[in-house]
Amino acid sequence: MNLIQQKIKEIGSDWELLVILAKRDISVRYKQTILGLSWAIVKPVATMLVFLFAYKQVAKIQDISGYPIQLVIFSGILFWNYFANSLQAVSNSILVNSNLISKVYFPRLIICFSSIAVSLVDFLVGLAVYIVLALSLHQDISAYILFLPLALFITSLFALGFGLIFASFSVKYRDVQQIIPLIVQYGFFATPIVYTTKQLSEKSWFLYYNILNPLAGLVEMFRACLISQYELLTVQNASISILASVLVFIVGIIIFDKREDSFVDYL
Amino acid sequence: MHIIEVDSVSKKYELSANKGAVSLKNGIKNLLTKEEKEIFWAVNDVSFALNRGDKLGIVGSNGAGKSTLLKILSKITKPTSGEIHVRGKVASLLEVGTGFHPELTGRENIFLNGAILGMSKHEIKSQFDEIVDFAGEQISRFLDTPVKRYSSGMYVRLGFAISAHLNPEILIVDEVLAVGDADFQKKSLGKMREVAANDKTILFVSHNLTAVANLCNKTLHLEKGRVKQFGETGEVLSNYMAALQTNRLEQSYATFESAPGSQQIRLKRATLIPELLDGQTYLDIRNKININIEFWNTEPNQQLNVSLHLFASTGECIFNVGTPPGNFGVGLVQANLEIPGHFLNDGTYHISFMVVKDKSIVLYNFEEVFNFEIADFREDTTWYGKWPGYVRPVFPFPIRQLSDSI
Repeated sequence: MNLIQQKIKEIGSDWELLVILAKRDISVRYKQTILGLSWAIVKPVATMLVFLFAYKQVAKIQDISGYPIQLVIFSGILFWNYFANSLQAVSNSILVNSNLISKVYFPRLIICFSSIAVSLVDFLVGLAVYIVLALSLHQDISAYILFLPLALFITSLFALGFGLIFASFSVKYRDVQQIIPLIVQYGFFATPIVYTTKQLSEKSWFLYYNILNPLAGLVEMFRACLISQYELLTVQNASISILASVLVFIVGIIIFDKREDSFVDYL
Repeated sequence: MHIIEVDSVSKKYELSANKGAVSLKNGIKNLLTKEEKEIFWAVNDVSFALNRGDKLGIVGSNGAGKSTLLKILSKITKPTSGEIHVRGKVASLLEVGTGFHPELTGRENIFLNGAILGMSKHEIKSQFDEIVDFAGEQISRFLDTPVKRYSSGMYVRLGFAISAHLNPEILIVDEVLAVGDADFQKKSLGKMREVAANDKTILFVSHNLTAVANLCNKTLHLEKGRVKQFGETGEVLSNYMAALQTNRLEQSYATFESAPGSQQIRLKRATLIPELLDGQTYLDIRNKININIEFWNTEPNQQLNVSLHLFASTGECIFNVGTPPGNFGVGLVQANLEIPGHFLNDGTYHISFMVVKDKSIVLYNFEEVFNFEIADFREDTTWYGKWPGYVRPVFPFPIRQLSDSI
């Protein structure tokens, strides 16, 4: 616990640098404003349209959980993009910024934390699209949207924890980087992104599934914040996911701390 | 109370077959097999201490451990053993424009680079105009242009301008002065001297011995990672230069069999001897250099000539001269070359030469026969930046007043 406290202090003392690095990433991303912004809109919308097509036209599925199918899919994709982009950004942050790391000293964690800023902005853009979509479908926005920052925070812990582990190892073992796209690809289908936990909840192994894939609880947490009267988030799911996120974050920090001193030797 | 104390600091690198980053498979294999690793001490048992206001020059040949030492002092990498105590705020400049992002404008990069170097937002804001002013008029016109459109000169000027306005107690500088045009170098050295004048502590790695001699009161000479000498600049530098300079370079072979070359020709002896002035201990730009080449020829009645190339340390060929072709029989052949003084600029050079038959057939190319250094020499000057160019001729270049009216 002391380590976590010390690391948070480290980041706090260089907060200005974290902010300016985050600003750098965002302004590079949105430098060509039209392209940057439209990408954050087009990507989730296109993914949703593809699945709507597959469900309605090909598989003839009209309803997957009793909630508006567009909102279920879109909120899932919003969550997934935030998680996957953050995970990838954090995992690559040390290698991408190797020129900085080998030339200047600053707490290395800063570069990992600041790298999720772009995914956060993309998420906010997507959230605006979600609200427009929900209103156009004459759906209410859930009052629980006020808890969305909390859900984002817990997801960030999970993405950071995992990302820090990958970042720590990918400096020495470069092929670790190649695992992440696979996780993102398979995780998308192994997690209730384009379906919900409703179809799984009656299975005998549902509890184990939640433990093995804490992302399932996290995505339902997002939906509970976004879709009105969404009832698929259970206390059990939520607590498993929160516990797992905190645990992964702590493990990530411990591993990162053990390895950060040797980063420069391999860059 | 010392401001910096370095206590027997060492840094070890393990050189395995796959240096640096490895694949996961090899990583696991290494864990299992315990492969023998070659160990390399980049910095070995280095100790020294500096007082507030000391300016330390760090000199040594390539691979002596200067850069590794600076990285350890800047906390970028941890030493394998030993301890460092630093009392004060450190800023390290290991390159100009660290972290500049090509897509961002000059203005944005000033804030980014400043923050990376440890300036607060407030500090950058209050010094912003001065930074732009120092960088020059050209930069201020293109302040809102992405730096990817900057020329390399502008890039360096902006980078240096930011670092010149850092306000740390301890400044660690690596060779940043070796960049930019002569005009800007002059400005940067002026700024360095201004910084040196107050009680800041500076650690300065440079190949520019003239700058070290003029800026630093103490010098650390590293050789193969170890401290060769640490002390007053004048003393350390003159020992360093004397050790560095080879006043006579010779390669000679007693027998034909042991000598390098081809079937037909073999090198017997090659010497490089500078003509030093009285009291001079090492070669500088003023000195004439004599090169003497002797080789064996085993074929009768051959038309041969020698062609000599002189290269700069960067690999560029500075000149190529050839002897006139002549007819030679079996036996020893000698060629002499005299490179006049006040011709080559200071720097590191190497010489290769080849023996050519019938003006076009290369019989053998003797590569990098001599490797030597020419030191700088200046009198009556207030400028100590690196003199640009590979040659430094003294041509007649008179200047006079033509009239008294405009």
